[in-house]
Amino acid sequence: MPSSPAAGIHEYLRLQLWEHPAHETSWGSAPAAMTALELLSWINRILFVVLFVAVTWRAIRQPTRAHFNTALLFGGIAFAVIGALAADAAAFDPPWLSGALITLLNLCPWAMLRLVDDFRGSPRWVQPGGTVAFVALAALGLLLFESSPQLVELATIAWFLVVGGYAAVAFASASRRSRGLTRSRMAAVAVGAYLFIAAIVIVFAAALLPDFQPVTGPVTQVLALASVVSFFLGFAAPAWLRRAWREPNLRSFLERSVHLSGVVDDREVVTELQRAAADALGAPGAALGLADAQGATMRYVRADGTWLEVPAETYIGGRAFVAQQRLIVTDAVASDPEHAAVYEGAQARVVIAVPLSADERRLGVLTVYGDRAPIFVEDDLWLVQLVADQTAVILEARRMAREAIELRGREETTLLKEEFLSAAAHDLRTPLTVLLGQAELLERRLERDPTSRVDPAGIARIARESRRLRDLVSDLLEAQRIEDVGPSTDQEPADVRELVRSSLERYGYDGAQFRSDLPDEPVLVRMDPVRLEQVLDNLLENALKYAPDGPPIEVRAWAENGETRISVVDHGIGIPDGERGAVFERFVRASNAQARSDTGLGLGLYICRRIIEGHGGRIWADETPGGGSTFHVALPAQVLREPMDGSPSGDIPLPPTSGVGPDG
Amino acid sequence: MGEIRVLVVDDEPNIRATVAEMLEIEGYSVEEASNGADALRAIERHAPDLILLDMRMPVLDGWGFAAELRRRQVEIPIVVMTAARDAARWAAEIAASGSLSKPFGFDDLIRTVGEVRGAA
Repeated sequence: MPSSPAAGIHEYLRLQLWEHPAHETSWGSAPAAMTALELLSWINRILFVVLFVAVTWRAIRQPTRAHFNTALLFGGIAFAVIGALAADAAAFDPPWLSGALITLLNLCPWAMLRLVDDFRGSPRWVQPGGTVAFVALAALGLLLFESSPQLVELATIAWFLVVGGYAAVAFASASRRSRGLTRSRMAAVAVGAYLFIAAIVIVFAAALLPDFQPVTGPVTQVLALASVVSFFLGFAAPAWLRRAWREPNLRSFLERSVHLSGVVDDREVVTELQRAAADALGAPGAALGLADAQGATMRYVRADGTWLEVPAETYIGGRAFVAQQRLIVTDAVASDPEHAAVYEGAQARVVIAVPLSADERRLGVLTVYGDRAPIFVEDDLWLVQLVADQTAVILEARRMAREAIELRGREETTLLKEEFLSAAAHDLRTPLTVLLGQAELLERRLERDPTSRVDPAGIARIARESRRLRDLVSDLLEAQRIEDVGPSTDQEPADVRELVRSSLERYGYDGAQFRSDLPDEPVLVRMDPVRLEQVLDNLLENALKYAPDGPPIEVRAWAENGETRISVVDHGIGIPDGERGAVFERFVRASNAQARSDTGLGLGLYICRRIIEGHGGRIWADETPGGGSTFHVALPAQVLREPMDGSPSGDIPLPPTSGVGPDG
Repeated sequence: MGEIRVLVVDDEPNIRATVAEMLEIEGYSVEEASNGADALRAIERHAPDLILLDMRMPVLDGWGFAAELRRRQVEIPIVVMTAARDAARWAAEIAASGSLSKPFGFDDLIRTVGEVRGAA
């Protein structure tokens, strides 16, 4: 039996921690139970050593701080176990051995503290404070264990409870704030830490309270087993488990990205993919760069939603893109000082960049960043790669869809051109028939009787059909021109009232046919006045054509809600329900207009729409109450600029207000 | 053989007038109709010897008119005149005796009408 308190505790700890329990005394009394406990103890020791080997191997392959600290954590335990076994085997049992072994164990909370900083950061004083405390504790263990073991025991309990407990709580909260794989692994680490601390605290507490030792022995071993298993899951999870843990992240990424093929704007897609990638990876931020076809430039979306175009090799992502290799940079500013401001602004200290490619096509690069290195680098790289691959698939699908649409658009354009030509040819032939016929009639009549009088009806027909032909040709050319280059963008402020008046005057329309309702103050729009007149002429002509004998056609102009509004109201045949939108399409004429057999290509309103939309406005048709059509035009209003010279009408074309003209 | 009566069916009044004048100069007697239904009424009034028929017309088009003639077992030679490219095909569709593609000149008109008359 031990002779001093220190020797007693020493003996107890030796049995509890470093050797199989009670191997000298228990063979006879309860061999089965002792054997089970002994087996358990051996299993725990072997597992801790294996875990140490595994994490050390990883730290050698990927020398990150987190990996090193993990190796340190299990190194303390493993060396304590191995050291005790070796000392036992060599019958080497100096009085300081237990103090040294306890000091090795005390490495664990210190390593945990360092890991906390790797995982989520800790206040500045925690690390140095922990180190000082550990050194003090080591000195205590090595120097004073023999003389006052209770003091060392109590200090160790306090050390584990306070520092280990702090670390375990920090792991748990880091787990709650992480996502997916990291969350699961971090949770396992937290559970392992809690169990391990509990086991150690119970062992040391029981050393002070010998009465409880028969109970605490098995409890400790069970806790230790659970702890080592948890640590295994956290620090060295098998591949199948990591796949299972990763699955929800990928699923959420895919679920969010599946809708993106329908989104038109590339910027929206990039932003959403970035968000989904960051979420799936549990990273604070992600940036998706899209390369151009030659791989010379890279486009990113700025926070304000605008494009940022840079040479392809710019940023760390650009380097990964050029090298077509995954990159991990743990200090972005040091690695790419030229763009220090960018990284600092995004709090991107650690950057993982993975190039995106589909077959041989280099699409761009996915960059994921955060303010600290990922704990589980391998997993994060894997996941970033998977997300990047998936992103590439989505981008590629979008590109192919767009190409298909463009191809179809080209086919449609060709088809439309053919339709256009055939419709144009058809409509040109009708007046040509009359022209040719009438001209030949004149010819024949003159041949037969050189003195015959000219037929006025025939001449009138020739003139009318010629005019019609002219209008058709100019409509055709106009429509084709608009199709090729879009509406004119030569925009200057114009007074709608003036345009309406001049349109009415030019056609010589009298008050019986038209009535205008115009305000006293100018109604300004910013557009090419020639274009607006073209629209007005078209609407007025239509109104006359389809409402020749009704009440006067009303033309109104006014300003409303920041828009300049014009309406042309007729009381003619109207447009049948369901056709009021279609009449603005190319070659479309209302069915009742066709039935009246008024000829026309169905281009006038189409041209109007193109012009108005080209100026940022809208044009639409309504039914006039009581019958007829009302055509509405809404254009963005021109806001009066502050007059430069004090005259409010300085740069606005206004009609002369008196008879004092250049020639008056 | 007396006057040959020709019915000109077209929704374009200027074309009707022009074709009618050209035929009248050549001694034909001409009736006009602005669509298929109009033309059916004209035929009831006085049977023409020949019909010049536009195909695309409101109310009753060329195909409907030809079908109605067949139903009534009225056999009058028809010459299709159209601005569409398919003059000959449309003529075949309604079993017309000839076709004219707009724009056609004086000679085309008189020759075609003469050929159809000669064959009849």
